[in-house]
Amino acid sequence: MFAEQLAGNLIQGLVLGSIYGMATMGLSMIFGVLQVVNVGHGAFIMIGAFTTMTVFTKLGLNPIFAIPFALVIGMALGFLFYYVVMQRLIKAPELASLLATFSIGIILEETVKLTFGSEFRGFNWETGKLDLGVTVLPYSKLIAAGGSALVALLLYLWYHKTRSGTAVRSVIEDSEGARVCGINVNWAYALSFALGIGLTVTSGVFLTMFIPVGINPYMGGGYTVKAFVIAVLGGLASPYGAFFGGLIFGLMENGSYTILATIKGVEPFALTRFFSFVTLLVILLIRPTGLFKSQ
Amino acid sequence: MTDLAPLLRLENVTKRFGGLVAVDEVSVEIHHGELFAIVGPNGAGKTTLFNIISGVFIPDEGHVYFEGEDITRLPVYKKAPLGIGRTFQIPRPFGGATVRENIAIGAMFGTLSGKVSVDEAMEIADRYVDLVGLQEHRDKPAGGLTPVDKRLTEIARALAMKPKLLLMDEAMAGMNPRDIDEMVAFLKRIKEEEGVAIIAMVEHIMRAVVGLAERVMVMHQGAKLVDTTTKEALSHPEVIDVYLGKAPE
Amino acid sequence: MSARPGKYLALIPVLAAYLGMFVFGRVQPDMWQLVAMLAFYCCLGQAFNLFLGMTGYVDFGYVAFVGVGTYGMALTLSRLSGVEGIGFGALVIGLLAAAGMSAMLSIAVGAVALRLRGAYFAIATIGVNEGFRYFIEGARIWNGSEGIIFSKDLRAIFGRETAIALSTFWADVFVIVIGASAAVVTLIYMRSKIGFALTALREDEDAAKVIGIFVTKYKIIAFITSAVFAGLLGATAWALKLTYVYPPDAFEIHYTVEAIIIVMLGGAGTLLGPVVGGLLYGLSKYWLAIILPGFQLLIFAPIILVIIVAFPEGTVGYLKKKVRGTALERYIV
Repeated sequence: MFAEQLAGNLIQGLVLGSIYGMATMGLSMIFGVLQVVNVGHGAFIMIGAFTTMTVFTKLGLNPIFAIPFALVIGMALGFLFYYVVMQRLIKAPELASLLATFSIGIILEETVKLTFGSEFRGFNWETGKLDLGVTVLPYSKLIAAGGSALVALLLYLWYHKTRSGTAVRSVIEDSEGARVCGINVNWAYALSFALGIGLTVTSGVFLTMFIPVGINPYMGGGYTVKAFVIAVLGGLASPYGAFFGGLIFGLMENGSYTILATIKGVEPFALTRFFSFVTLLVILLIRPTGLFKSQ
Repeated sequence: MTDLAPLLRLENVTKRFGGLVAVDEVSVEIHHGELFAIVGPNGAGKTTLFNIISGVFIPDEGHVYFEGEDITRLPVYKKAPLGIGRTFQIPRPFGGATVRENIAIGAMFGTLSGKVSVDEAMEIADRYVDLVGLQEHRDKPAGGLTPVDKRLTEIARALAMKPKLLLMDEAMAGMNPRDIDEMVAFLKRIKEEEGVAIIAMVEHIMRAVVGLAERVMVMHQGAKLVDTTTKEALSHPEVIDVYLGKAPE
Repeated sequence: MSARPGKYLALIPVLAAYLGMFVFGRVQPDMWQLVAMLAFYCCLGQAFNLFLGMTGYVDFGYVAFVGVGTYGMALTLSRLSGVEGIGFGALVIGLLAAAGMSAMLSIAVGAVALRLRGAYFAIATIGVNEGFRYFIEGARIWNGSEGIIFSKDLRAIFGRETAIALSTFWADVFVIVIGASAAVVTLIYMRSKIGFALTALREDEDAAKVIGIFVTKYKIIAFITSAVFAGLLGATAWALKLTYVYPPDAFEIHYTVEAIIIVMLGGAGTLLGPVVGGLLYGLSKYWLAIILPGFQLLIFAPIILVIIVAFPEGTVGYLKKKVRGTALERYIV
């Protein structure tokens, strides 16, 4: 009985984990290239959620069609915030970039609140379900998980097979050296920031397929903090590391919840979150390069 | 016993980064009050060697002795008060603090007794402001100074620590010949007045090396090539071959 | 003769500001709530500046120390309310408990997180803050997610009249005193070796080590001091004033961000900055809530961006540059 429940929850965790992973890749990418922690990360996920809702309820389209909208909106926001704010803070102390990205998050949240209101809004995309015996998975979630894995693969190919991806990688290695070799470092920064934001907003499309309570302008905060844990699992600066970190986090979250729920006198939900932060601290201390990178 | 021991002795010091051997079994002795130069092209391992002496890195093999005592594994902040001061390749004064405060910080923390009060340190700082001739910039933040004045601030900060050994990383990089001559004269003067041994790291300004150092060690790909008097080094066939042959000037 | 004449003159403007708040609130009793809010922000900034401003390390979980201090007072009052004739002894024990608990938390966090730098430190401290909150809720210690409501205990210990006076007046006076004390300690640190060591480590930690500064020691000193003031602030501004504590509020990250904004607005690492930042922030928040309710954040956020980009040294940092070499130099620090 317990074993079945655990198996079912772990499968759900793996599916959710792939979305978590994708929702963290943008954060890791931006940190890897610009050394900036995007504290407003969750707000961009929220933008993706509202994009999906608008495409689905106002335009009456399948939520899948929200993906190109989300990517374009995200990259446009990324370029905008990069050129207006972030490029001036590249060499500034952490304090400046942390506060700046937090402020950007607030601007997004408050703008959406003024436009859509602050109450939760739910919408339902009926796709049918896949019954696995131990658990039931709606196809919408499977589509989201598959889409996330596909995005991770596409990012990998972009990094390694294209000119712009190679340029960005060389900037990560050595920005001065890249500059000497004629790479436009500022453009590489801008492109990475925009792509990172684009990925994050797109992940909001996938995440909405998982949220039973609906979406609201302040939904992002929790994801920001989760994304920090996931990013650290993956090494903070590596987007694919983040994807695998997401898988592990999904498994961990659902696994520890299932186990903790059997203990009397504790709140399993809160304790699960507690353990995720313990993991964060332990990894930061003993393996700040993440779980996957040797050295 | 300590009087007889050399000021600094490196014994088969080796440091690797991954597969790269940055410093390869280097042994050398530096004596009290000596002017010594470490010469070698970029990547020869000079900065790594400096970082080992000042304690930023711990070597993988070998030992570092200072006045006869093994300081190989001493944490970096404990090495300075023994009498090891250093400057950086790109000068790194504390930009937000004034020139005077920068030097006072050296006097406060860089001495062994640790009993220099803030007021005393400020007075000591004033002496070194005079020594390096930065009187008119005394109360300005060091971050706004010219590169040469930043370097002088850094040297004064190191001297305020009352070092027995001063490590100077690329002390003359990017200077014109007149500045170099002035710097050489200045280093000779502080050697006499402060009784400090100086190890200057130089990339390829041989003229300055001849004017400055009594002995040189030439490094190549992490290893010691020669360690001899400056004159002999200049005519040493191996040195001419791997180093002088390629460097202009 | 001292090499630094008039080194404590800079206390005059900062203490005058705290005293001014108190006097203004007494003269205009209907404005006391505004004074209480301003005092809270000034004190929060002053306490945080001791660490953030002086070391340059961004503790994104700073509110945890305020929260733990709140718990220190709340636990004391709720546990001691049955003790006959405890009276003001409970208040003293509560303050000591708040200071002690935040100091202990800061030592534990410091031992772990202060090994990290930059963004890694910031993320670790967010983790500590959230982790501590969910530990309280998850393990159901200190009454778990229900929190502690102790208004009854406060009345039982002090009597109705005094309990009301404590919550509506004395709590705010304590906050002013704590803020002023934090300012005094800041200047003492600045004028001592601690301040010089912190300046060095803030500017260039590796260079600081190389000239013989044991940076860990000074980071921990600043961290504990800052945490203790935060704990005392929680014990008074939150515990005594609100008479309840509840985990999501006590560990709400927005307070950390407000503290960062205040320090930044006034000038990180300056003595006078937190007061100037606290007044600017508190007053504009107050007026915006009246003029444009609901739009405060949308107006604030872009202003913060402009300040970060255009005036990263903050108001007092900018003033300091302007008065360099003049007679005012000793007063604006």
